[in-house]
Amino acid sequence: MSFSEREILETVRMVELETLDIRTTTLGINLLDCADPDLESACEKVYAKILHHAKDLVRVADSIGGDYGVPIVNKRIAVTPIAWVGAASGAEDLTPLARALDAAADAVGVDFIGGFSAYVDKGFTRADEALFASIPRALAETEHVCASISLASTRSGINMDAVGRFVDVVLDAAEQTADRGGLACAKLVCFCNAVPDNPFVAGAHIAASEPETVLNVGVSGPGVVRSALERLGPDADLLACAETIKRTAFKVARMGELVGRETARRLGTGFGIVDLSLAPTPAIGDSVGDVLEAIGVDRAGGWGSTAALALLTDAVKKGGAMASSSVGGLSGAFIPVSEDQGMIDAVRAGALSLAKLEAMTSVCSVGLDMVAVPGDTPRHVIFGIIADEMAIGMMNHKTTAVRILPVPGKSVGETVEWGGLLGTAIIQDPGAFGCLTLHGRGGRIPAPMQGYRN
Amino acid sequence: MRRFLTVEDVHREGAQKKEILVDVGTLVTPQALEAAEAAGISIRTGEGKWTEPEPDRGPDAAGSRSHLPPLPEPEEGSALESAAIVTAVGRNRSGVLGQITTAIAEAGGNVHDVSQKVVEGFFHIILTVQLSEGASFEDFKTALECLSCPDDFAVRVMHERVFRFMHRI
Repeated sequence: MSFSEREILETVRMVELETLDIRTTTLGINLLDCADPDLESACEKVYAKILHHAKDLVRVADSIGGDYGVPIVNKRIAVTPIAWVGAASGAEDLTPLARALDAAADAVGVDFIGGFSAYVDKGFTRADEALFASIPRALAETEHVCASISLASTRSGINMDAVGRFVDVVLDAAEQTADRGGLACAKLVCFCNAVPDNPFVAGAHIAASEPETVLNVGVSGPGVVRSALERLGPDADLLACAETIKRTAFKVARMGELVGRETARRLGTGFGIVDLSLAPTPAIGDSVGDVLEAIGVDRAGGWGSTAALALLTDAVKKGGAMASSSVGGLSGAFIPVSEDQGMIDAVRAGALSLAKLEAMTSVCSVGLDMVAVPGDTPRHVIFGIIADEMAIGMMNHKTTAVRILPVPGKSVGETVEWGGLLGTAIIQDPGAFGCLTLHGRGGRIPAPMQGYRN
Repeated sequence: MRRFLTVEDVHREGAQKKEILVDVGTLVTPQALEAAEAAGISIRTGEGKWTEPEPDRGPDAAGSRSHLPPLPEPEEGSALESAAIVTAVGRNRSGVLGQITTAIAEAGGNVHDVSQKVVEGFFHIILTVQLSEGASFEDFKTALECLSCPDDFAVRVMHERVFRFMHRI
């Protein structure tokens, strides 16, 4: 089978000039068998099992990157929600398990390990409570550990008590890392309709439906999509734009499928899913905000952004679904504000407000991601922001998430620098009006009619 | 099957008999190994001294790989099964193609197809190369990419499968 010159140059250009890469290969490891009445023994088992299964992950991923000439940027691990693993110990402080995860991540050389997690859509177990209490310290004291909490789902409704407690956790985590711009909150996310096979941090974990070990892949590609749209030019109609995005997404997803299958084969584990999400980075040109502008909005966050994002998310899914029979995870377009240069610029220019961002999350693949607000934002305002986002996910049968950073000592318009993949944020204005009475009520928002599908 | 042996197990079970019997697939934690060694306790399986087993990836790991739908792979034993696509771009001068093809031959490659274009003093070359049996792709790639020189030309090597997966349904 031979290729035309155009095909070859297109692929080389994608990798060389348009920052196409495999964003993450994430090895999922089930830790349920590590449960132990003695917390110290549980930590020992967790450390040993992760080392045992993931010791070759970085080497294998790097060798595939070398063999195919396609960079694999991050190698990560996702584990069973730690509330389930720690439950048998009866411990009220699960921080030692976070330390065990962190030490294992260090030993195998991955940058993040996700799964300091709990599902509390309908209520808390004692272990969920212990996990909540442990999160701020666990995230402040570890480097690689990420925590995620499922607060709501279309099936169960929104656990508003849990939303309230989550806000307390966020504020405490920010406070404990005040000297680092509230960095702990960048490793903490809450979900509505959490997905069990998400390879991307901070929400990566392996839920009960997953096998013993599984290899999931997340692709990248905003730069590739933007370039393809720019070549199409401003006169092409929207069907042509959608078609171009579909074709590009197909090619990007196929790279993910190839790398995922090959990594799984070399590790001897099962291949799980390709997450088709267009994942931006702070690198110039690797921006979903830029893609929206290439589709035709003046600035990301301007009127028309929700429509453009809807077209983008849907076309990415259609192209990707043709390329792989194993599409999963979040699969759409991420719009993490601080991790996307186009979005940062849009905030700086006053084009992207929090309210518009919320509207855009109703059609993107995740939610309010890497949003910085002043450290003194009232509790009930953050509560309202999260509750609104959960409601969008619940009513629309989609995954929504909130990763919000109330940065201590900073006020609206100031900049906070986290560095690396987490990028730079401009503190956004959450407005003065929250929901004090709603916050005080407690209880649950019942599951909507959409949840009763049987 | 016993899945783990921890420090606590070592202290409890090794206290009297100085020997602990585990299954072949049991995972002895690094801390337990250390504790056993310090206390002079040997950890054995039915087949002798315990060594770290191959990771057990679960009951359906192999199946989940073999049941994947087919992708556009070449026919078994096809000449292009381990082919590389070499691209080079740079300032045009005499002897560039020769330099690259010589390096390919030295690295164990056989040029299958070549196209070269020169536009306004710059060239680009695309070569489809069949690697000789047993040749390592990574070594080949390293050898070729080492030819790159910032002021002269750049060489990039990618596996043929990448192009096949991207451009064929």
